[in-house]
Order: sequence, then structure tokens, then C-alpha cells
Amino acid sequence: MKLTLKIWRQENAKTKGKLVTYKLSDLSTDMSFLEMLDVLNEELAVKGERTVEFDHDCREGICGQCSLVINGQAHGPEGHYTTCQTHLRSFKDGDSLTIEPFRANSFPVIRDLKVDRTSMDHIIQAGGYISSFTGMAPEANTIPIHHNIAESAFDSAACIGCGACIATCKNSSAALFMSAKIAHLAKLPQGQVERAERVVWMVNAHDDEGFGSCTNTGACAMVCPQEVPLLDITRMNYEYNKSKCTVE
Amino acid sequence: MALNAKIPKGPLKDKWQNYLDTTNIVNPANRKKIDVIVVGGGLSGGGAAASLAELGYNVKVFFFQDSARRSHSVAAQGGVNAAKNYKNDGDNIYRMFYDTVKGGDYRSREANVYRMAQCSVDLIDHMTAQGVPFGREYSGYLSNRSFGGVLVSRTFYARGQTGQQLLLATYQAMMKQVKTGNLTQYSRHEILDIVVVDGKARGVIVRDLVTGKIERHSAHAIVLGTGGFGKIFYLSTLAMNSNGSATWRAHKKGAYFANPSWTQIHPTALPQAGEHQSKLTLMSESLRNDGRIWVPKNKDDDRKPGDIPTEDRDYYLERRYPAFGNLVPRDVASRAAKERMDAGHGVGPLKNAVYLDFKTAIEKLGEATIKERYGNLFNMYEKITGINAYKEPMKIAPSAHFSMGGLWVDYELQTSIPGLFAVGEANFADHGANRLGANSLLQASVDGNFILPNTISNFLSNEIRTGKIATDTPEFDKAEKEVQAQLEKILAIKGNMPVDRIHRRLGKVMFKEVAMSRNEKGLKWAIEEIKKLRDEFWTNVAVPGDDKGPNSELEKAGRLADYLEIAELMAIDALSRNESCGAHFREEYQTKDGEAVRDDKNFMYSAAWEWMKGEEWNLHKEQLEFNDIEVKTRSYK
Amino acid sequence: MAIKKGLFKTSIGRKNLMAFTGLFISFFLIIHLVGNLILIIPDSYFPIEFWGNVANAHDMYNAYSHFLVHFWPITLVAWVLYAALIVHVIDALLITLNNNKAKGDKYQVTDNSTSSWYSRNMGILGTIIGIFIFIHMAQFWLQYKVLENEHDLYNLVLATFKEWWVLVVYEIGIIALGFHLVHGIESAHRTLGVYPKRIMGIIKYIALCFGIVMAVLYAIIPIILYFK
Repeated sequence: MKLTLKIWRQENAKTKGKLVTYKLSDLSTDMSFLEMLDVLNEELAVKGERTVEFDHDCREGICGQCSLVINGQAHGPEGHYTTCQTHLRSFKDGDSLTIEPFRANSFPVIRDLKVDRTSMDHIIQAGGYISSFTGMAPEANTIPIHHNIAESAFDSAACIGCGACIATCKNSSAALFMSAKIAHLAKLPQGQVERAERVVWMVNAHDDEGFGSCTNTGACAMVCPQEVPLLDITRMNYEYNKSKCTVE
Repeated sequence: MALNAKIPKGPLKDKWQNYLDTTNIVNPANRKKIDVIVVGGGLSGGGAAASLAELGYNVKVFFFQDSARRSHSVAAQGGVNAAKNYKNDGDNIYRMFYDTVKGGDYRSREANVYRMAQCSVDLIDHMTAQGVPFGREYSGYLSNRSFGGVLVSRTFYARGQTGQQLLLATYQAMMKQVKTGNLTQYSRHEILDIVVVDGKARGVIVRDLVTGKIERHSAHAIVLGTGGFGKIFYLSTLAMNSNGSATWRAHKKGAYFANPSWTQIHPTALPQAGEHQSKLTLMSESLRNDGRIWVPKNKDDDRKPGDIPTEDRDYYLERRYPAFGNLVPRDVASRAAKERMDAGHGVGPLKNAVYLDFKTAIEKLGEATIKERYGNLFNMYEKITGINAYKEPMKIAPSAHFSMGGLWVDYELQTSIPGLFAVGEANFADHGANRLGANSLLQASVDGNFILPNTISNFLSNEIRTGKIATDTPEFDKAEKEVQAQLEKILAIKGNMPVDRIHRRLGKVMFKEVAMSRNEKGLKWAIEEIKKLRDEFWTNVAVPGDDKGPNSELEKAGRLADYLEIAELMAIDALSRNESCGAHFREEYQTKDGEAVRDDKNFMYSAAWEWMKGEEWNLHKEQLEFNDIEVKTRSYK
Repeated sequence: MAIKKGLFKTSIGRKNLMAFTGLFISFFLIIHLVGNLILIIPDSYFPIEFWGNVANAHDMYNAYSHFLVHFWPITLVAWVLYAALIVHVIDALLITLNNNKAKGDKYQVTDNSTSSWYSRNMGILGTIIGIFIFIHMAQFWLQYKVLENEHDLYNLVLATFKEWWVLVVYEIGIIALGFHLVHGIESAHRTLGVYPKRIMGIIKYIALCFGIVMAVLYAIIPIILYFK
């Protein structure tokens, strides 16, 4: 199959970027989207042109390093897929695809399609952990956890931290990402002790990093590769309000 | 230098405790004065970084990803083993030790394996306390599943994303330490050299992958948790950027490389579909709990799997290994699949796969149960192939997966360079010639969290008076110059062969002759081919752009340059071992029905290779002693 | 790190303020609707007994209006309502400004299939409603309560709705209100943290019904009056 690619090229965060058009032919529908970019980069390398920089690593949908907005959709058209899981069978022969980086003020462009997502690390640093040091833990079965609660905590914990929720949010809010961690830890008995402080610290960090307010449009949950539940945001709001109203 | 594994005295079960009782430790007030560099932010490196920072050392952690949460430990699916005996099925530390040594075909270091089994018990407690949502029974207690190569259920799991959950717990522990200020993280930094000063590892040369700047960092000790080098096969289950460069550059600075040729070929990955494929996604081994593996009995049977009646199917694992059936260890399963495919029974358009069928399990347990156990794996399969595996069998194929070999380390996880430690997949000791499923998360975690923090203190206790290590010394100058020179050399070639194309060709050579089955002729041929590819690389590689900013092609080229050297050592190692053991199967050494023939008299050693200038290697043998386990022929029949 | 910023100052806090004021205004809408429905009670229902007196629609409506304006506790509530409206608007502006700042560079191609247009455009809907409220208050509240130009509100209302453009303006404002309510009621509950799945499911349904019922009932009043 043939595809026309309009790819965002930008030298670094300080310079302006623009879309550059490339044409590829002889592609197979079994190819993954990133393998198609590999093909393009090989062609560019042979010509001695600077290759397209994009983030990727595990290529099986779990590391969260791949990003890309394809025709305005974070991670491509399939919904709940990562870019690396998107295959060319999702497109038609002759399609024209616009490929852009994840955009948000807190995601400065490094080059081309690579963006800096350390702002998300900063949110976790603020409180997204349980302060149990190595060696402190009691025997694992001393605290039984209801099967459904463990499963529900897993649904939240499954977040791969890719940032698609932020990239797709019209407010660039990191609510879904942040709430996934807050909900994960708030649901488990191990996370109870730091529960009240955790949510407030993380929300403060979220705001300091320059992310926007959630307006509950629900777009984030529609693109989340791990289908983190939208209700986690609501859970986070509950945790926040409760913490604000009860903790000294 | 003679190899000294420094195994503590005493009975096997007391060795680790004896070590802990007598090892030197560092006073909390002195820890602040000591710098430790950790390379790699995954389960082993990250665990070490977090644990050392908790102890109060100044820790710097380097990784090439944009966040430590992306380290490739994240992709481990099935689970983590621990000898908790929650199932009352007779599991205990000794049995786990036994299974691991046997699974490794009696080529691992007894004391290390036993220690790993001992620490496994604490690991589950530790991870649960960190908030890992392990699978639970309806009683609320932890649940287990079974894995290949064992007769008990000792695998703890968090759906099919156990690695992710353990890694995130470790990552969170690291983030907590970043907040306390004990840990500084350097994301998007790639290690390019180790600096050795007066015989001790004292620093690293790194490249900032954003600005392109070369930086020097010094420390009193360096820990490598950089994972395996299975990506050398190009098509593998590893992440695209996983590499062997840090360990290799340490090797070239004097660290011995042990058993490099022992690469696990995982039996249940997705088959290659086309020439441009970059990755073979792993399907967890846990699928073999309920899935049955078969191929058509007739050669080139082009019927759809559903149309092939039972009498025309060959459930070859159940046929050959009735005791373990579909749950034989990975090396055995992979080789059996290769045997069937070579005999012309492969399925799929390229005849490069076998079926993994869930029909029996779905009939017996219902689709809902299968969905709960493996739902995300089935989803993943459908995302990649577009096929619904509830309706028709999965097509799976062997793929390069795990490096049992790695930097040689002693009992303290210290390499042959004093002050340089290696943890997790980057070292070699625990898995012998074949790793059992769900032992890799275990090894990485216990190395980082429980073992290294205790053993590194023995080294660091002598460093409390050393003071800061200067980075403006001739050793640092020299290392930085060499690194800079290599980057410039690569950029100056301006050839017309892209890095990936050379890498793909290397992968083909390696997968053909240095993978599941090897022979003398093939290995010698491979060595010649590797040399040719190396020449081609250094004369014709196409790396556009410069080193002043992000340049993925330059990063890949540097890694490939190292692979082209590692590959040769792998072939040399395979050639030197005239026996079949575990993942290392030499066609010259097999029984009539194709089972491996070990030679315990001549080869019961770990091969530790020393880099000599002029690209030659010197072999050091660490003889293995098994006092607490009877060495037998491994049989899963 | 202490728990520093105030309840209404963080990204969630500001949304709390939106939720509280929005829900209060929504509650007012019910009261306002009940009063207005007097306007469309068919003539055939009169005369009916009204607090011991026999009355028609005209008397009943004017009595109700008089009561609203001259009963002091209601005046007090009215001031709270004005304040809520103003806070709702200012807070919305602050949130929008901050969100725009967070957005950074615009996408060259956008695809909005993942969310409903009204949930994305609450600001535009709110602006339409704001303009509508401005006109609405200038027509009645200003004339009747502030300037006291007109004492027979019933006649004023009837006369006003005989103009076709008034009808069009009202219908547009009310449709915008309906969509604003459907998203707003659900969003407010989400913001306040009603997280149990089943309850949120019910609230979603209630929000939809509330929006539709309010919009339909409010919308038919001007139409009936236009043709009366």
C-alpha cells in the first residue's frame, strides 16, 4: 500500500516546527505504524538526510514510551491502542496521515516527534508511592484484600504513563494519569496511611507543572491504551475534597 | 587474575546468613559521603538505586528512557516465583533451588541460586507492601499459578502485567527517594564508558541524548543493571533500545564476560510476519498452563486449524514429554518447535509457527475463566495480528528472549573490576544454561533490593576516607576522548547502509547459527560473517545528522558497533563448549532421539572471558561444585 | 510539604466552586420554572381558588411576582443567586484562561470523536446563556423590580413574547441551557467526587433527563405565549 505522511519536524523547543510531506510505497498492511517510520528513516538515512526522531521502546504496548498523534488522534485511530500496536491495516491504501507530537505546554518538544514528559514523573514524585522501605514489609498474607478490590486497584495501576490522556485533553489536564495512581493506592489497604496527604501533594504538583483543570469531557478515557476508568478522576476528586475537609 | 567467587563458608542454607552476619557495613553518618552510580532504572537497577538511597548513600541513576518506568522489566508478563508454599503443595526453598538448578541444566552457581530462593519469600512481602495488586483468591489471600519446568504453583502474578506492576512499585520507591534528595535521576542519558582509576571503577562517561553533550560522573562504586543483550538477534522480545553496550564497555575495561552464548529462545512469541518486522511480541509462558501446542501431522497441511481433526494433529510436547507436557522448560519447548518446523510441519504463511490452542481449556473452564486469566494477552494478540484467539488457535514461534550470560560476578555481585557491580540480567550467575519462567523478575528484584545493598557495603566500608572522586584526572580525559573519537568516527563514515539493515543481517546470522541449535561448522561460518559485517559497518554505515542533539541513528550505531563484537564472543563461547546444556544445544552432542548430552567431566564450569587488546579473548574457568544436589541428566519425560 | 493551597485555589478546587455554584443555579431553575408555568395554565382552568380567593392567570401570576419581590427572605436568596452567577462566570474565565495556558501549541489536525461537542464547549454554551440572561433580566427584572416602570408583570410578559425575535432569542438561550445542564450536572457530581459506579450511572441519567425536561418546559412557555 501507499501512504502520504505529513510529519511534524521541529529542531528543538525554541524553534518553530512545520509539517513536511513524505511519500511511502510498497508498504504491507501487516507492518506496524512504527515499522513504517523505520522504513522512512532508512530511506532518509540512505539519502543522508536527518531522520525523523520519535520515541519508542518496547513496541508491545506496555512501556508507554511511544507517543504520536495521528490525524488528530492520540495513538492513532483504533482507540485503546498504543501507537506501536497500531498496524497499517487500520488505514486505507493512499491515505494521507498527519503525524504530530503529543502537545501540551508541559510537554516541550525535544525534536520532531519526541517530547519531554518528565512533568509526569514530578507528579509521582510528589506522593505517588507508599513509603515502605526495603526490609519493612510484613508477611504478605497478613492483610487479606478482597479479590474485587485487588482487581479494581489493578485497573487503575495498569496506567502505562504514556501521556495520551494529556495529549488528547482539550485542557491538557493530567487528571486521568494522576488519578490512576491516587485511586490505585487509595483502594489498597497498604496505601491508607499516606492517603490524605498523597492526593493533595500530587494535585499541587500537577498544578505547579502547568497542567490544566479537568472538565470531565471523558476524551482521555477513550484513548487510554489500558482503559483506565474515567471514574478514577471522580475518585481522586473525592479523595481530594475529603482530605481538604478533614485533614489538619 | 584467578576467579574467586567468594562463596561464604558453611552449609548451603546458612551461607547468606553467615555472610550477612560477618560482612562489613557502613555507618549511617558515613553513607552521605559516599556516591554510588547506578546504570539502568529497571527492576534490578531501580531497586538498587531506591534501596541504596533509602540507606542514605548519594545515588545517581542513569537510563536512556525518558522515565525509569519504561525500563524493559515492564514487559515481563507471567509472574514472579517465590517459595511461599501458600498452596500447600510441598514447595519450599530447597525445592525452588532444586528446580532452578535443574532447569539451568546444572550450570549455575549453587550458593547464588539458593540465596535467590531464600530472598524470594521476602520479595513478595516487599512488593505487596509497595502496593503491587497481585492476583487474589476470593478469600483475599494471594493467588498462584504454575509455570514451566516445575511441579508446584509458586508463581505470583498481577494479571499478565506482573513485570509492569513490580517495576512501577520500584519506580515509585525511586521517585520517593528523588523527593528526599538522596537520589538524582538522569533520564535520556546513555552510558558510553566506564572509567577505571587505580584498578577500581570510579566513574562513567555518559551522553545526554537531548543535548548531545558528553558528561563525566564519578562515584565510589558503580552498579550496572542494564539488562540483557538479546536484541543482538534484531528480532527478539526485547525493547528496541535494549542493548549490551554498558556491559560490553565494562568488559573492554576489564570485567569478565561469562557464558555469553547462553541466550534463551522463548517458545511462545509471535512469529515474524514480514521483512520489516522490528519486534517479536512475547506471549506469556503462563498461556502454556491452559493452551495445548500442536502442529499438523501431515507436512504442508494447508487446512484451517479448525478443519484439522484430532487424529491429524501432533501434540508433540505431550507426546515427547508426558510428565511435563506443555509445561516443559523453555529451551526444551523451543527446540521441539524448531524440530517440528524444520521437519516441514510449521504453520502460517511463512511456515514459521506452531499452534497454541485453547479450545480444550475453553470447553472445560468456559470462556469467562480463560478471559479472566489471560484476557489482556488475548487482547494483545488481537491488536497485533487481528485474530480472535478465543475462536482459533494462536500462532506462536520461538524468539530470542533472555541472556543467561552476562558480566561475571562473584557472590557479592561484584565483577572482576573492583567497585563495579552487576545486577539482574546484566550478570550471569543464577540461571545457569537456561532460565525458568518467572525467575527473571525474581532475580532482578532480589539482586537490586535485597542482595546488592548488603554486599556493596562490604566494598564501600573501605571507601569512607576516600573523599570525592575527581573527574578531571587523566583517566577521565582519556575515556572521554575515546568516546568522542568513536562518535566522530561513526559520523564520518557517511556510507549508504542504514544501521537497522546491518543489524537485521547480523540478527539473521545469529538466529541461524548461534541460537537454538549450533554446530562447529555453522559457528565458524558465523564468526566469519560477523567479521564481514563489522567491516561493512565501519566502512559503509549511514548515520546522518550530528552529535550535537538527539540522533537516534547515532545511538543505534553505537549499540550495533558493540553487538558486532559481542556476537563474535558469543560464537566463540558456543564453539568452545563441546557439549549440549540448557539453551546451548550443539548438534554434535545429542542422543538418538534428539535430547541434549551434557559433558559434566569437561564442561562443568562457567566460561568467563577476558578481553585482551587486539580483540582476542582469554578464557577463565569457574568450576562449579554441586554439594547439595545430585547432578542428573535433566529429563522432563 | 504541607497541605498548602486553599480548597478553591487548585485545579480541583476551582472546579469545586464551579460545581457548587452550578448546582445552586440549577436548583433555582426548578423554582423559576414552577412560577413561570402559571403563565401557560389554560384559560379553561380558571377561575380557580387561590389562597381563598378566586383568581385567573393574570392575578395569580402578578400575586406570585409581587410576593417574590417583596418577601425579604427571598430577596436574600436572590442576592446569593446573583453572587453564585457572578462567581460561576468569573471562575469559568479563570479556569479557561489557565487551561488555554496549559495547552501550548495547537494541533494541525484535530479529531474530536472522543468526546461530545457540548462537553467541550461549555464555555461557548455558557456565553450564550450569559447573553440570554442579560437580555432576560433587562426585559423583566430591570423593568419590574429595579426601575419599577411596570407593575403588571403578566401584561409585560405577554406583550414581550409577541415579538418574533424575542421568541428566537429565548429558544436559542434555552437550547444552550439544556446542553449546558446535561454536561454540567454530571460534571459537577464528578467534580465533587461521587465515585461509586452505580450512583454515577444514575446521576448521568438524571443529568440527561434534567437537561431535557428543563429545556423542553422552558422552551414551550414562550411558544405558547407567542400564539396566545
